[in-house]
Amino acid sequence: MDPTGVSGARSNGGGATREATGLESLHLGDEFRQDNVGGGFTALLELPPTQAVKLLHFADSPSSSSQAATVTGIVPPLHHSYETLTFPSNSALLMERAARFSGETTTSSVPSTSSVKTEPADETNSSQAAVNNRSGKRKDSDKKTEILKKKKNKSSEENEKLPYVHVRARRGQATDSHSLAERARREKINARMKLLQELVPGCDKIQGTALVLDEIINHVQSLQRQVEMLSMRLASVNPRIDFNLDTILGSENGSLMDGSFSGTAMQVVWPHQVIETEQSYHQRQLQQPQQWPFDVLNQRAWGREEDQVHGNDSANLHPNQVKMEL
Amino acid sequence: MASANKPINTDVPEKDVFALHFLQSLSNLRRQNTFNSPEKTNDRVKKIKKVAYVSMARAAGGTNRLWSRALLRRAAKENNKVVRFPRRKKRVTCLRRRRSNRRDPVEEEEAERLRNLVPGGGGMEISKLMEETAHYIKCLSMQVKVMQCLVDGLAPK
Repeated sequence: MDPTGVSGARSNGGGATREATGLESLHLGDEFRQDNVGGGFTALLELPPTQAVKLLHFADSPSSSSQAATVTGIVPPLHHSYETLTFPSNSALLMERAARFSGETTTSSVPSTSSVKTEPADETNSSQAAVNNRSGKRKDSDKKTEILKKKKNKSSEENEKLPYVHVRARRGQATDSHSLAERARREKINARMKLLQELVPGCDKIQGTALVLDEIINHVQSLQRQVEMLSMRLASVNPRIDFNLDTILGSENGSLMDGSFSGTAMQVVWPHQVIETEQSYHQRQLQQPQQWPFDVLNQRAWGREEDQVHGNDSANLHPNQVKMEL
Repeated sequence: MASANKPINTDVPEKDVFALHFLQSLSNLRRQNTFNSPEKTNDRVKKIKKVAYVSMARAAGGTNRLWSRALLRRAAKENNKVVRFPRRKKRVTCLRRRRSNRRDPVEEEEAERLRNLVPGGGGMEISKLMEETAHYIKCLSMQVKVMQCLVDGLAPK
């Protein structure tokens, strides 16, 4: 009974420190723990006696995982991290555990800050290295919980006001809802601006949003002018060519409703890297199936050239264009 | 809403889709008897241009994109057809609140010009406008490629 008596005394002392740290965290607990198991204040008060009992059990049987589960009824998932740390049944470690648990309980009530949860784990890992210095450890853990609480304070305040914003404010920045919303909006706009910059050629070098926007507007205008020019050319060219597309498109209409060329044998020989052009499309329709292997070779060549110069494509077409015009 | 940013989706279907839609509408055009008369080129030009835009809108996103919806609605109005779009949840109230919230004079000027260029840009906030512009640029360049290939293929040499 002696060891248990000694550890009982020690745990009482530990209980005192625990309560000290618990009280420090209490005012935080009042703020944001409304829906906890026992209700803010009482839950914390319940903890120390139960923890004392359980910690004693911990000291006796280090491999009591189920008890860990019952102790940390408020923090069920976190006990896993402590399973891996196999503590010798040292009463000195009870203090550490007490501080850890008090840190744990406060972290459990802040649901979103997972990074905060790693801090107690870090705490324990670092403090486990200096096992023997009990008083030093107490100070360390106290200091760390202090810092922990300060950081939690900031983030918890934000999360209070805007529960759906999971943004951690940097220290020194305003945390009222207006500036937060503005900042989020700014970030959105900047992200989209980057996207646009990638699209429009030659926009990465330009600094400043106004000039970039100018460039984008010019690009859109040039594209629209190109469409108009091409439609003029098409209109002039059109009456000469007799598209026999009705039959082609009619047969493929059913399978092409979803916008993909599936269901036809062409798909087999049509890898996606090949950029399909109109000419090759016509080719395939008008030529006999036996010529498909030949087609594939030709199309691959076209696919490679097509990006560079369009004139090459039309050069390739001469022998086949006669067929089309008929 | 200052919620977490989902990745911006500006996917554009492959060139085949654009080609298909454009060719379909072109063949529809040709079926019209008044089309092939060689004199009225200007009308043909306008029709082809309109057809190009409409087919692009349909190929690119149908009614999922704001600009395509506005384009199709505009085109349908010219033909006196009534177009029905599936009703989506419109957050009009949020829009109104935001527009009064933040007006950066430098950006708003450019944004105004963009709004005039991109169809359907009148009621949009800047971030949404930029998203639509990105998609619009992609689709436009795709359509230009398609038309260029077609013209090259059919050009007399």
